Amino acid sequence: MIERKLDDELLSDLGKALVGGSLTDLDVLRRTEAGDTVQILPQANVVKIGGQSIIDRGKSAVFPLIEEVLANLERHQMILGTGAGTRARHAYSVALDLGLPTGVMSVLGTFVSMQNARMLHYLLAKHGIPFIEPVQFPQLPLYLAERRAVIFFGMPPYTFWQQNPAVGRIPPHRTDTGAYLVSEVFGARSMIYVKDEDGLYTADPKKDRSARFIPRATVGEIREMDLQDVVVEPAVLDLMANAEHARSIRVINGLVKGNLTRALAGEDVGTLITAD
Amino acid sequence: MTDEQRTKGDGRHHMSSLLMRESLIDKDLVASTDSERPPVRMLPHAHVVKVGGGSIVDKGRDVVFPLVEALGDILERRKLIIGTGGGARSRHVFAIGLDLGLATGVLAQLAIADALGNAHILGTLLAPHGVVAIPPEIFGHLLPFFVKAAPGVIFNGDPPYSLWEHPPAVGRIPPHRTDAGTYLTGECFGCRNVTLIKDVDGLYDKDPKRHSGATFIPRIHVDELRERKLPSLPFDEVLIDILSRARLVKSLQIVNGTKPELIEPALAGEHVGTIVYAE
Repeated sequence: MIERKLDDELLSDLGKALVGGSLTDLDVLRRTEAGDTVQILPQANVVKIGGQSIIDRGKSAVFPLIEEVLANLERHQMILGTGAGTRARHAYSVALDLGLPTGVMSVLGTFVSMQNARMLHYLLAKHGIPFIEPVQFPQLPLYLAERRAVIFFGMPPYTFWQQNPAVGRIPPHRTDTGAYLVSEVFGARSMIYVKDEDGLYTADPKKDRSARFIPRATVGEIREMDLQDVVVEPAVLDLMANAEHARSIRVINGLVKGNLTRALAGEDVGTLITAD
Repeated sequence: MTDEQRTKGDGRHHMSSLLMRESLIDKDLVASTDSERPPVRMLPHAHVVKVGGGSIVDKGRDVVFPLVEALGDILERRKLIIGTGGGARSRHVFAIGLDLGLATGVLAQLAIADALGNAHILGTLLAPHGVVAIPPEIFGHLLPFFVKAAPGVIFNGDPPYSLWEHPPAVGRIPPHRTDAGTYLTGECFGCRNVTLIKDVDGLYDKDPKRHSGATFIPRIHVDELRERKLPSLPFDEVLIDILSRARLVKSLQIVNGTKPELIEPALAGEHVGTIVYAE
């Protein structure tokens, strides 16, 4: 048999266990944890720019942020992801009313975050910064080395294969999750969410004036608080618990000049959420 | 127009809709999007079938040819969407990738090529029956067209998670593999049923290939399956959670592809292997 031939010739012990064993066997899976994985792009920062929170505000929010991105390029490489925002909410509303499946809503959300990526791209084009789709990710390291930044749409490319949420119909893995997974797989230097609030609060500060700011929290603490609303997609917190490289994320207010610069410099600004 | 008018006072440009200005993370908002009414079914007559890589394709002609003959016969009467697994080559690339210290998302990206190879291998054998192998880049968007135009399609069963694969709780093997991807195809497109074709009769309390006294489990609820924490499963473990959140395809059946006469009864809804169900 084919497997046996591979066994005898060149497989490592782990290789033999994987080819011959079951990938649902916990003992086999534990053996795959040995050693550290390579940090593919350890000097790159993943920066997610909010859709509703930043881009939908137009130039009053976007232009100063872009200036700040450009001012930091000399010191920091950036992989810039975009959120979806208001038009995604509109598309989701229409899709919900018509009874469309979650996977189709994921396709619709992708289109909106792609529009936002294209708009940011045209504003940064004269600096040679490209917008890349998932299929162009193999070129990402070259663009980073040459131009210090790239733009991608934040939605993970799950499209019709987006999983149903436990409650409701809206895709659970959206642009916060897609950007986060890019930072994890590349072993990036940091994951920074640029939103329009100072960070995590005990409630939505747009609706509840008594909401209290939380400068620092672990994933476990956030779960214990059982908040009605959280500043990042809950899926990010779930993924952080299993992550190897992206063990912390930072959420900052991109409407305040200088916050992105401080976050890139590793200063304590906004909310820092850590896996443990 | 003043800025104030344009932005309705809070600085953001809004569009009028149910979810306008709302946090999509707020628990009440999320709950309000639930509905008793199931989502629409895009391909309600098509059957989704996963043909195992290690369990079927890697076994060679003794196992593959009789199965191809059975599938060819079924294609005279039923529309099939066939996903394939990557088998031994995926296990091999995982082993090399792990040894080189490459992350889970990279392993997921690499493994797509193996299942795609198997889709073309089976696709070649099923070509006389009108089955076309579809590249993953166009598969989802063109699926309704191909299902209408051809008796069957075949694709790499992987979900397109690739670099965006989730880091697993234990180890580094990509958790969403071809069983999960094939099932999710059936769930999103609202297909008639999902059948996993393997080289065992179904689910056992222990791996039947290693334990002669393993007990067969003909039917099991996902909650019970989760609680029992069986030492190994004949399908991707994430399917337990994915199936428990099903909106359209609320069960799947595992059947033995070395008994090809069981495939059509399984597609017709007969209980011939193990049924894992969510409700």
